[in-house]
Parts: sequence; structure tokens; C-alpha cells
Amino acid sequence: MELNLFAAAAVLLVAVATFSIGFRASRLASTTQDFLVARRRVRSRRNAAAVSGEYLSAASFLGVAGLVLKDGANALWYPIGFTAGYLALLLFVAAPLRRSGAYTLPDFVEARLSSRVLRWFATVFVVFIGILYLVPQLQSAGLTISSILPMPSWFGAVLVAVLVMINVFGGGMRAITLVQAFQYWLKLCAIAVPTFVMCALFFGGGGFHGPGLAQPQSPRFTADTTVTVRTPVLLTVQEPVHLSADGTLDGAAAEGPVFWGGGTHKVDAGTTLRFTKDSPVPVVAGAPADNATWLKPVTGSQDVWATYSLMFALFLGTMGLPHVLVRFYTNPDGGAARRTTLHVMLLLSLFYLFPMLLGALSRLYVPELLVTGQTDAAVLLLPGKIASGTLGQVLGAVTAAGAFAAFLSTSSGLLVSVSGVLSTDLLPGRVRDFRVATTIASAVPLALAIVLHPSDVSMSVGLSFALAASTFCPVLVLGIWWRRLTWVGALLGMLTGGGLVLTALVLNVVSRYTGSQPPWFVVQPALVTVPIAFAVVVLGSKATKAKVPPDVNRIRLRMHAPDKLGFIRDRDVARFGTAEERARLADGRHRK
Amino acid sequence: MSTTEEQPTGGAPNAPDWQIVQASDDFAQLRRRLRNFVFPMTALFLVWYLLYVLLADYAHGFMATKLIGNFNVGLLLGLLQFVSTFLITWLYVRYANRRLDPIADKIRDELEGGAR
Repeated sequence: MELNLFAAAAVLLVAVATFSIGFRASRLASTTQDFLVARRRVRSRRNAAAVSGEYLSAASFLGVAGLVLKDGANALWYPIGFTAGYLALLLFVAAPLRRSGAYTLPDFVEARLSSRVLRWFATVFVVFIGILYLVPQLQSAGLTISSILPMPSWFGAVLVAVLVMINVFGGGMRAITLVQAFQYWLKLCAIAVPTFVMCALFFGGGGFHGPGLAQPQSPRFTADTTVTVRTPVLLTVQEPVHLSADGTLDGAAAEGPVFWGGGTHKVDAGTTLRFTKDSPVPVVAGAPADNATWLKPVTGSQDVWATYSLMFALFLGTMGLPHVLVRFYTNPDGGAARRTTLHVMLLLSLFYLFPMLLGALSRLYVPELLVTGQTDAAVLLLPGKIASGTLGQVLGAVTAAGAFAAFLSTSSGLLVSVSGVLSTDLLPGRVRDFRVATTIASAVPLALAIVLHPSDVSMSVGLSFALAASTFCPVLVLGIWWRRLTWVGALLGMLTGGGLVLTALVLNVVSRYTGSQPPWFVVQPALVTVPIAFAVVVLGSKATKAKVPPDVNRIRLRMHAPDKLGFIRDRDVARFGTAEERARLADGRHRK
Repeated sequence: MSTTEEQPTGGAPNAPDWQIVQASDDFAQLRRRLRNFVFPMTALFLVWYLLYVLLADYAHGFMATKLIGNFNVGLLLGLLQFVSTFLITWLYVRYANRRLDPIADKIRDELEGGAR
């Protein structure tokens, strides 16, 4: 890829700005104190911006547009699900969990069911979900860097991992409200401004000169295009196309002109394909091949199940994500938590309008991404195609900077919560281990990011939502609303749900390598795994009635009593945060 | 972790009172009102989401009806999903402020009155 100096400068600027705000803020107040202070002072509007800032990850910034480009109207479910997850969180868990005084999911299960074994397993799942969520962040960082600098994609992943690690070591960029709120507005501007400019250029130029999006035909290449296939891909060819190829097609060596009739064709890694201007674009198998199908929300019964399953995962998984719940504790009470959620939804919906528009524009201007299926690059490449010269480069720089902000904020938040949990609960010898834990928590996802197939960002994020929905959702919902839950039932349910999703994940990875198309319940397992997990929790609890905690009534009263009764108590805050912060806090512990 | 098992003290009402609170009609009513809103509303919007997917799959003609340019009924309903999610949240916030908080206040008043 060519060097884009503007983009390199913009990315550098974002990194510096984030660091300096983070470090200055962390000098003013440690995060633990920030939580304490913030609990009384943060306005719900700023808090909502912070929640959204932490939540909008690579999947939102790059992934949504990429999926719209590939799957069309079907992909609308991702932003809707990402938003609706907060509604489920608000209706079922936010207020009772806030009143229970538990800061994290392991805290909650231990407080509700008083079992250290269960706490340990919950911690393992928190770490696992965190790592699974970090992998796509790092992969998209690699994608972003390789599209603005002449560097291989692993370089970007290493760069972000190292940056985030330094950041966390230095204590900057904790869940500091100000930084996260800043990140939200940065990301919003970085996607909104280029979208407005590109739309102005698009409509100012009299629209697109070529087949529109409603035509029942394939998208067309806008110029002579060379595509290099890096991972084996199966292509659907709807309209016959002439091309020239260099490499392996359908298992045989190919060099020179090739004619593809309709049907599917297999292209091996390392193959170069050359298409001429206006020839129809072959698309990766499984994605709608022509624009009219693309515009239809659902096609085929496989799709119906996959869509239901996805909705289920996103809707029920949000409540189980480690970096989402914690943010709700900066609300002073249930009323403020409700107002914050309302604002979060407004801010998220506002943001998601732009990736959807960009995805639709990409279908016209960068259809070549459909050939490799690596559609996550759409947001980054689109500006250079619509606007020429310096303007295109500047717009590209702005979107790259926004994407970079997304990786930095989400990965920092995740890394802090994962390594905090690792060092306090899983590693022995607590104090010195925070750094060790941070190193482990960033090295493992980095290795996975480099080794694993860079499948669509939103898809892998979808799987981590499925994992959260199949492990923590049953325990949370039943823990809050069902008196007879026991720790044995909860443990069995978590293990069953988690095991099933992990099996699906492994099958999914394997099928990516073999190039076959797995059935819907492997791609999106939540619709199957969540009900099974619920059933196992209920049956397991019924079978172990004797293990219902004796103080269940008291705990339940505290969770369901109205805030104003004063039953909210803040849990042992010192458990939370880095070793240094805990030590610091221990000095001035009694805050009355 | 032992802290969770402590009785609520400090700003909280006196300890024995919460047995009474739990048994009181007001508390039962509070929980009933919460349940009466949360569960039907969840069912309602799940049905609305699922219905959309079904319509999209089996009512192509209807969903492809063009409104303005290429903007069809399917896309309109899709965008309305955002609106409806937001609307339900707004309704819940309003409901909580109007129907749940007053009872909470009432319970608190009675408790404090009794404690004095």
C-alpha cells in the first residue's frame, strides 16, 4: 500500500493526545478514586459519552461498514443489536447489580452464591471473553496500519499492543471518564466529517455513474483493478467475467486470461487476479452476489436462523462483557443509571448512522474488497476513491485516526480489566503480578491475532458476545430473578454454555482454513447455546436444592429494594484496580 | 468478600426493619409493578424484532415496496428498529420515574417514620 503521510501524522496525533490526556488525568486522580468521586459528580450526559466511547470498538468503527458492504441490509442487525444490548442490561440487571454492590461479574457470583469455586470459573471466563474481544481489535489495527503505511499487517497489531501496554503500565487511560468521553466525540467526528464530505461529493457529482444499488446485477469495478488473494477464498460468480490470473484457480495452475462462467470458483492464496473497468465483481461465497439481493434484509432460511441467533447473542451478551458493566457504577443511583442508558442509546444510534452510510457508498466505490472478503478496510479505502488527491488523503487520514482511537480506547479498557482480574484472582503473590498479568493479557491476544485468520471483525466480536450470553447471562438473570439458584447449577450452566460456544469457535476456525461454509449454528451459536445454558442452570439448581445459600432472602432484598432505602453499599473497593492503587487506597480507606 | 455479608449500616435504615419491608404490601407492589412492565415489554419488543426478520424473509413483495427512490419498506422498518429500541428505553425511564420511585419514597418515609 502507498504511504499516506497525512494518515500517519493523524494516527500519531491521536496516540499522543490520548496518552497526554490519560497521563494528566491519572496524575490528578487515580481511577479507583475517580470511581469514588465520579460516583457523585459525573453528569449522566458525560457519563453516557464515556460509556459509548469505551463501547465503540473496531467492530463498530470498521466492522459495521464492512458488513454492510458485504451483507447489505442483513448487517443492520449488528448496530441494532449492539444498541439493544443496553436495553436488556437496563431492564434486567443494571439496577439490581448496582445495588448488590458487586463491581465485577466474579464479585457478583460470589456475593450471591457464596462460592469461591464459582468465582474462580467466572474469572476464567471473564479473562477468556476479554482476550477473545481483544483479538479482533489488534487484527483491525494491523489492517489499518497496513493500509496507510508500507508495512505488513502484524506490525500494526504489535504496535497497538505495545502502545496499550505502555499506557496501562503508566497508569494512564484507566476507565477515566474524561478520556473515554473525549474518545467518543473523537470517533464520532472522525466518522461523521468524512461521511458528510463524501456524501457532498457524491451528490454534488450527480451521483454514481454506473449501475445503482437497486439493480439486480453484480457491482462493477470502477477502474482496472488488481486483487491479490492472501488467504484461500471461494467466490460466487453471478455474471460471466473475463479476467487474467496468476496463481492457482480451482486447484489448477493458471496464468494469463481466464473466463469464468456462473458458479463458484476457488482461488488459492498468493493468486493475483486482474479485472478490467466495468467488469462484474465476483463476491466471496455466502455474501449476496447482486445488488438487489444485497438490499433485501433476509434471504433464505439459514439466514433467518443466523439472524435470530445473532440478535440473541448481541442482546443478551452485552450484560456479560467485562468492560461494560463497570461503567455503570459511576452512576450515583438507579435514576441516573436509567438516564445514562437513554443517552447512551442516543449516542450509539447517532454514531451507527455513519458506518451504515459508508458501507452503502463502499458497495459502489470499493467493490474489489468483495473479492478477498476483507471488507473491514472499506472505511479506510473509501475516501481515497471518492475524493482525489490531497482531499482524499486528508479524509482517509481522519478515518484512520478515528479507527486508531477506537482500538486504543477499547483495548486499554479491556486490558486493564482483564489484567486486573488476572493479577488479583488467578495469579499468586498479588502485588508484583500486575505487570506480569498485563504482559500475559496482551501477549496472548497478540499471538492469536497474528496466527488466526483475520475473519470479519464484527463476526469474531459476535462470537465473544455469544460467549458472554451463554455463560454470564443465565447466571446474572437467574441470580437476580430466581430465588432457588445454587452455585452448582450456575457452574454447570456456565461450563456447558461456554464449552458449546468454544466448540463452535474451534469448528469455525477450522472451516475457515478448509474453505468450507459452516452451518448457521456454528457461525452464530447463541440461539442454541443460551437456552441450553439456561436449562442446565435451572436443572442443576433443582438437583442441588440443599445448596441454596441460607441468606438468599437478605441478598435478594438488597438487590430489589429501591435505591432510596439506602441499601446501596459500595463493595470493598480496594479489590478493584491495580496493586499500587489498592495500596494507595488502603492508606485512606475509611471514607465516611 | 466478607463485607457483603455485613448488615447494611450507616445511611441505611435500622437492620430489623428490612424484614418488615420485605413482607410489606408496598414492597410487593413495587416488585409487581416492575415485573409487570419489564416482562411484557421484553416479550413485545422480541416479537417485533422476530416479526421483522420473518417479514423480510417471507413477505418480499411488501418489504420491497418502494417509498422514495430505492428506499423501501424493509429499510424503513429496519431503521425503525433503532427508534423502537430507544422508545422502549424512554418508556421504561418514564415508568420508573412515575410509577416506581413514588412507592420507593413511600416505603422509605414509612421506615424513617417508624424508626424515629
